[in-house]
Amino acid sequence: MEPLPSQLYVFAWLSPFIGSALNLALNPVKGRAKAYSSVAFISASAILSSLLALDVWLNGRVVSFEYVWVKCLNVSFGFYGDALSSLMAVVVSWLSLLIAIYSIKYMEGDPGQTRYWTFFTFFVGSMLLLVLADNLVAMFVGWEGTGLASYALIGHWYTDEEDKWVGDPGRKALGIPMYFTPSHGGLRALVFTRIGDVGFLVGIAVIHMLLGTTSLVALESKAGVLMLSLFRSGILLPFLIVFSLGAMAKSAQFPFHEWLVTAMTGPTSVSALIHAATMVKAGVYFMLRMAPIIFLGAEVLRATNPAVFSLVAEYFEIVALIGGLTAFILGTMAIVARELKLILAYSTASQLGYMFLAVGAGALTGEVGLSVFVGFSHLMSHAIFKAALFLVAGAVIHSVHSRFIDDMGGLGKPMKISFASMLLAALSLSGLPPFMGFWTKDAIIDVAFEAHAYLPFVLGVVTVLITAFYSLRMVFRVFLFKPSHHEHEVHEAHPLMWVPYFTLAVACLALGLAWPFYEADLSRGLTTLTLGLKEWVMPTPNYTLVGTSVALVAFGIGIAYYLYQAKKVLPFDSVKTSPTLMKLHTFLYDRWFINSIYYLVIVKGGHLIASAISKYFDKLIVDNLYHRAIPFVFGKAADLLFRYPERAIDLFYHRVMVAFFSILSNGFRRIQTGILNHYMLLMLIGFATIYVVLMLLG
Amino acid sequence: MIVLNYPLILSTVVVPYVAAFVSWVSGNRLSPKAHAALNSASLAYGFAVFLALSCTYGLGQVIRDPEIYFIPTLGRFSFLMDASTFPALLSISLVTAVVSLYSVPYMEHRFEELEKDGIKAPSWGSYFLLYTLFSASMIGCLLGTNTIEFYIFLELTLIPSFLLIAFYGYGDRVRIAIMYLIWTHVGAVLFLLGALSVGFVSGFDFINPSTGEMLLGLGDGLPASTLYVAMWLMIVGLLVKVAVFGVHMWLPYAHAEAPTPVSALLSPCLIGIGALMLLRIVYVLFPSAIQTASPLLFVWALITMIYGGFMALVQKDFKRLLAYSSISQMGYLLLGLASMNAFGMSGMILHYMAHAFGKAILFMAAGTLIVMLHGLRDITKMGGLSSKLPYTGGLALIGFMHITGIPPTLGLWSEYLIVRGAIEYSMKLSPSYFIPSFIGLVVAIGLSTAYAFLTMKKVFYGRLPEGLKGAVKAKRSLLLPMGLLAAAGILSFILVGPILDPLMEVLKTLYGL
Repeated sequence: MEPLPSQLYVFAWLSPFIGSALNLALNPVKGRAKAYSSVAFISASAILSSLLALDVWLNGRVVSFEYVWVKCLNVSFGFYGDALSSLMAVVVSWLSLLIAIYSIKYMEGDPGQTRYWTFFTFFVGSMLLLVLADNLVAMFVGWEGTGLASYALIGHWYTDEEDKWVGDPGRKALGIPMYFTPSHGGLRALVFTRIGDVGFLVGIAVIHMLLGTTSLVALESKAGVLMLSLFRSGILLPFLIVFSLGAMAKSAQFPFHEWLVTAMTGPTSVSALIHAATMVKAGVYFMLRMAPIIFLGAEVLRATNPAVFSLVAEYFEIVALIGGLTAFILGTMAIVARELKLILAYSTASQLGYMFLAVGAGALTGEVGLSVFVGFSHLMSHAIFKAALFLVAGAVIHSVHSRFIDDMGGLGKPMKISFASMLLAALSLSGLPPFMGFWTKDAIIDVAFEAHAYLPFVLGVVTVLITAFYSLRMVFRVFLFKPSHHEHEVHEAHPLMWVPYFTLAVACLALGLAWPFYEADLSRGLTTLTLGLKEWVMPTPNYTLVGTSVALVAFGIGIAYYLYQAKKVLPFDSVKTSPTLMKLHTFLYDRWFINSIYYLVIVKGGHLIASAISKYFDKLIVDNLYHRAIPFVFGKAADLLFRYPERAIDLFYHRVMVAFFSILSNGFRRIQTGILNHYMLLMLIGFATIYVVLMLLG
Repeated sequence: MIVLNYPLILSTVVVPYVAAFVSWVSGNRLSPKAHAALNSASLAYGFAVFLALSCTYGLGQVIRDPEIYFIPTLGRFSFLMDASTFPALLSISLVTAVVSLYSVPYMEHRFEELEKDGIKAPSWGSYFLLYTLFSASMIGCLLGTNTIEFYIFLELTLIPSFLLIAFYGYGDRVRIAIMYLIWTHVGAVLFLLGALSVGFVSGFDFINPSTGEMLLGLGDGLPASTLYVAMWLMIVGLLVKVAVFGVHMWLPYAHAEAPTPVSALLSPCLIGIGALMLLRIVYVLFPSAIQTASPLLFVWALITMIYGGFMALVQKDFKRLLAYSSISQMGYLLLGLASMNAFGMSGMILHYMAHAFGKAILFMAAGTLIVMLHGLRDITKMGGLSSKLPYTGGLALIGFMHITGIPPTLGLWSEYLIVRGAIEYSMKLSPSYFIPSFIGLVVAIGLSTAYAFLTMKKVFYGRLPEGLKGAVKAKRSLLLPMGLLAAAGILSFILVGPILDPLMEVLKTLYGL
């Protein structure tokens, strides 16, 4: 392929930002102008990213370009296109484009058009900057940009109408409300992720301090130096964890997953954007980007400093465990969720857990290339099916005017395309062959087993069953089950909406069917053309595991079919009768009480500390000390000074002195007789006195 | 060093002084808008001069006025600018110029309110006399080469700002104005005592105006017994001005009860000067002795960041919340300083700028609500205001982004630099401080994010209370000044290189960092 001039690819991420600024300028223009311009600018990104990816993949080379942004910090803005970043950019930009097209219709008539499209394009631009950045600081700029955009979009409907909430209005767990308004959801997203971001920022600072650069390429070449200096400072493991905190928070890993759940208050198109293309994938991408570099740094020191290698292995064990836990915990919550988008949100966090598991386990096999190949494959397949699922959910919620699946059912008849799309995507999510989700998830299970990461492996396997069940439960409850009262008023979504999700749903199947044909190329590209990697690796398929996992999927689907389609019963009706089961249900429904614990400890605790300090320190001590005690002391001192010395001085000057001078003046007055002879006499006496005095002194 | 042919740098103080007196003399013969135009133009003139000088000569070297004034026993007074004062000069001149435009709609409202209370406050001419004297004196603070020169300008900021609070403030304004005067004056005097003890031994110049060099280590000539006393007098004196934890008592009152345009200058611009001078004077006089003070300053900074954040979380009054936020932000500045390296120091200077833009926007937003909602300041009575005042809400968001370091605002760079400096400092002390300082930073930055965006939610998002259904969009004359500063903050995020590169260079060459 004939390559384009490299500078041009900068526009892959710059173009949505230009679109964003333009949307602000277009504020007074009514109608679809902003939507069309946004679609146009994102299309430009999609095309440029694709050309970049073709350039990288077909020509087998890394394409990069940099402009100096801040010289003294070695920060440039440009792009770094290797196999990973270019393919990631393709996934991000094309999914964003489809979601933007869907939004044209979905957000039509919304009064906040300018805000929506400005932040939508800003979101896409930030994500692409993050993906294509060639240094950590520019990456961080994009990273924070996605945080801002998600905050604004999650809180898009900031007037907090009840139909935009997440959770059952009025429900409380441990006394903490379990329903969230859009403005609350936005706040949570920002605060939760920023706590992790401080870790990322501190990590960048440490790297810049030790290496004098934050460029990714330099990071690769100096990985060993970095690891060794960290090890010698004794902070290698703490550093790695702190550095990854941003990724964990962004990708909603346990225990930072809470923000993602309540991010559902945004428009559904935004949920699709956050869950499929941008934001939560940033954390996984960061791990994919950094894992090879961290691993490489440890490996070059393996012979001389085996301790470094074992600390790094410990780090990857932690990553795998966090991933496994997240996959399992969030999966269990999805089983009982009653809100369509909430099921999908839990599922996203759970699937992100698989990706973290892939990164951790891949490195633990000793072939970090597996982390990148397996992690990225699942990221891609998840992006596609989750985008489709959310977009269908948006159309369904739009047409039944309810977010609860209890108000749905039987929608398969009026919404055939939506039904087909959701079914295909859900089957991919549940991991049924030959959908793409099957291949990518199976690879993770394989790798986890190969890495001997048994706890995460078991958690991953159990989650396969859970995933298959909740995915199909959702499909049956929405489209089949008992027809709801909405059945007759509902009709299929507008083509601008269904074309994007139907395309994605078909892609899940098509990419799955074609998987065996391109799997090897994908893996070769990703593991040889990505920063920090050189050797081509493939996971070894384990047929026992494949069989087990397929059986689990079938079993999960079977239960869902049996309950919701064959029997058409609500298991909750029987759960209600058993106190033990009900307790379990509440535990899952209230998200393992994690949210309540956070609010009790951090939010309420923080508020308690703040009010206590304000009341007992700031008001009582500081205010009283400076504005009462010190003025009082000075006042008293002044009072005393006034009473004693000042009175005496007063007395001295105003009474004693006055009296003295009046006596004196009286005396003088007496000698001033006005007779010249008297004056002459006085003068003679005066001279005589002076003469006598001088004589005596002399 | 570049020596100018004309005293252009001094003119950035003199021209506004002249404008201020013209305003005063013309009194009611000029309309409020004409007053604002005159004074804003005089301050914008300074902005233009600083910008033009930096573009013409670059910021790589010191730019100085031709005259050096010899003052018997006090040394030499001269006026100059370098890359380390440029960001602050740019922000003060821009913020003061913009806020004087904002003063017109705001003070119209304030005069009406005062009249309703039966008070006849001094009129427009006096307001602008005091306003511009105050503003130009802040610029003067940064131009000098001599500690006494700085002290004189510092006192010149105090008197007009004291009178502005006393004449036009809210609540118990006279008492608060006096409180402000006394406490910050105590700070200034402590500084002066330190400066005198150095000055009578080694001279009062901290910059040699003939060469443009910083007189590094001038205070080291003092006998060891007085050296530390003098240094700590200067540090504590300036920290009272900065209002860090423990000596912040005057700030929440003064900044909350000052008329809002004055709050918008006091809060970001004036108090930050104290932090800048800790670098420009105290660090320069005692470059080695101050190293012993830095661990204490570092912890003090973290405590201030966290303390201010906690206090901001529980405030109900919008302006008082912003005042506590300023205390927390001063902690950021102090943290940059305490790091004692070029990253932290440049972070401090850039954060001065980011905070100047952000906090001025926020005070103006709070003021806009006061004007549009009949004096409403109580956050608990607000909510959903973005639906009625969308631009005010959007601009307030940009204001908060500045102080929490979210792109595309300058705050991102200053936050990174401060974190960068702080990490290097604590790791150099001992790598085992890595985790404690990380935890300190997480709590501090987390709290800043929390109070900032919680306030956005409480004020601008959520349900609109019944009583506010009648609210209307803010006047353009209130929004435009905020918009200008927002644009400046975003522009300086993108164009940070030309400001930061020479700054970093100067910190290395002039300050030896």
